[in-house]
Amino acid sequence: MSIKLEQLHKSYGSDPIVRNVSLEVNTGELFVLLGASGSGKSTLLRLIAGLITPDSGRVFLNDRDVTYLPTQKRGTGFVFQNYSLFRHMTVGENIGFGLSIRRVGQSERTDRVNELLQLIGLAGYGDRFPAQLSGGQQQRVALARALAYQPNVLLLDEPFGALDVKIRAQLRQSLRDIQQKLGVTAILVTHDQEEAFDIADRIGVIERGELLEVGTPSDLYQRPQNLFTATFLGTANLLTGRRNGSTVYVGDARLPAPPHTDHLRGQPVQLVCRPEELTLFTSRENAEGEVIGGGVVDSISFAGHLIRVNVLLQGQGDSPRILQALLTPSDARDLALHDGQQVWVSVRDYHLLPQTEIPSGAVSS
Amino acid sequence: MREISPRSPVAIVLIIVVVAYAGLLFIAPLVAILQGAFADGLEPVLAVFTDPRVQHAFQVTLILSLIATAINAVFGLIAAWVLVRGKFRGKKLFDALVDIPFVFSPVIAGYALIVLFGRDGWLAPPIFSIVFALPGILLAKVFVSVPFVIREVQPVLDALTPEQEEAAYTIGATRFTTFRRVILPEIWTALLYGIVLTFARAIGEFGAVSVVSGNIEGYTETATSFVFRALNDRNDVGGYSVSVVLCLISLVILVLMSFLRGRIVRRGN
Repeated sequence: MSIKLEQLHKSYGSDPIVRNVSLEVNTGELFVLLGASGSGKSTLLRLIAGLITPDSGRVFLNDRDVTYLPTQKRGTGFVFQNYSLFRHMTVGENIGFGLSIRRVGQSERTDRVNELLQLIGLAGYGDRFPAQLSGGQQQRVALARALAYQPNVLLLDEPFGALDVKIRAQLRQSLRDIQQKLGVTAILVTHDQEEAFDIADRIGVIERGELLEVGTPSDLYQRPQNLFTATFLGTANLLTGRRNGSTVYVGDARLPAPPHTDHLRGQPVQLVCRPEELTLFTSRENAEGEVIGGGVVDSISFAGHLIRVNVLLQGQGDSPRILQALLTPSDARDLALHDGQQVWVSVRDYHLLPQTEIPSGAVSS
Repeated sequence: MREISPRSPVAIVLIIVVVAYAGLLFIAPLVAILQGAFADGLEPVLAVFTDPRVQHAFQVTLILSLIATAINAVFGLIAAWVLVRGKFRGKKLFDALVDIPFVFSPVIAGYALIVLFGRDGWLAPPIFSIVFALPGILLAKVFVSVPFVIREVQPVLDALTPEQEEAAYTIGATRFTTFRRVILPEIWTALLYGIVLTFARAIGEFGAVSVVSGNIEGYTETATSFVFRALNDRNDVGGYSVSVVLCLISLVILVLMSFLRGRIVRRGN
């Protein structure tokens, strides 16, 4: 176990920023801490690096208790959002800084720096100054600087936050490649769920200082255990219902209960389904799959390669609900959809959560 | 640099006014001093500099100015650091007080030093005397030149993000190494600039030094006090000659400053 956190807690004044977080990150894993700004994710990362001391709890790196070890002795590699390169040093000197601190000889240092420049695709840039590089290149150098002294773990605080979308996607792929190649354990903090899905082995969702849920990207997306996760990761259609026997009753519809939901037997539940799991039909007779009801098309909008259709669901008791469906353009054409059209909604994959006080309908972060 | 074009008559008039003003204020006195010093040829000038009292005055001025500069360099650096990174009550007040030597009349500063350190003063030292002695001159020079290093270093330090330091810590650098290899190179130019200004002020100070030192010939007389006395004694060649040397020192400082400022500007871009 490369990183283990036990009941880490930190408050500023009376505001708890990180609340009793426990977490284990496996060796060689790329773990993403996903949360909105102010959720405490960066603070958690700083606690691991030792830039902040916790009020209580423990931090273990490679099975060693480092809770009270100063930052300098923890051997973490930290990458900051704003690169934080040393401006008066060349790229090569920046990368070699950790080695020179560890009194590694000049020739070995040069070799290692060149090796790293190669790794980050900036071979030959060693003599330039940071100001002569683009943001993406600077962040690569920052990564190399953090990797140069073979850190116990790599910690990345919104490393791509200051870069534009295209560079960001490229860079996270190369980060993933480098991390895999070196087998270094890494925690990356981000608020960007696309980024999290793209590179994470596992994701931890953090909200108001609490680590709500940890899982693989597909687990968290398809079977979230937590309503916040369900709505924070992508858009979720939420419908209230009740699970009786092996059937879920939602409005007038009856659906078979999904597997692994026996613990919710006889309880009010929240039915969660993703927009892409909804199918629309123009008549009840044609409708296939688990039909959850009829409604009228409320709006149609273009969402890149898909068409987003909002349907006002009818027969759901007192409060009408808007459901969101994502259709392929060809499906949408076949249905000849237009606003106000009567449609039937069926659902392919869905998931149950215990019911709590939350809004229903299509919810996204 | 942007030029106003086409050059209007108003612009031409303004340029003439500025050049004439600067010439009258800066160049004319220099020419006058040089002319006065060498009015009777080189020999009287050389005689002035072989006078042991003049040599002593220069010695006192240079050595004490260097010590004052060193003290203020170290103190200024620490003070700037505290003002930027420290969190304490009364920080704003302290920040404002730093400029006191700029607004205080040096004569009053010298007088205050006498009140404090003179005979029966609150802080009068029991063993050696400060007032009307060399330590008093040092104190006066230190006092009047305190703000320069602080005010030069402070903004540069302020512009350094704490992340640079944090990055150095995570990489494994101790606080000292971080200061030496990460922070110092960033503030180096500003620090030098502050030091040069401090030295210029320390060397040129007359008011406070004159009050606190008592201008004792061959003991506490500094170069500037010598010029003042020469003026009163109608020792024109002596006054002019020492002034020329002081002016030369100022010119060297001026060149240094413009060089350093060039470096600061280049870094800023």
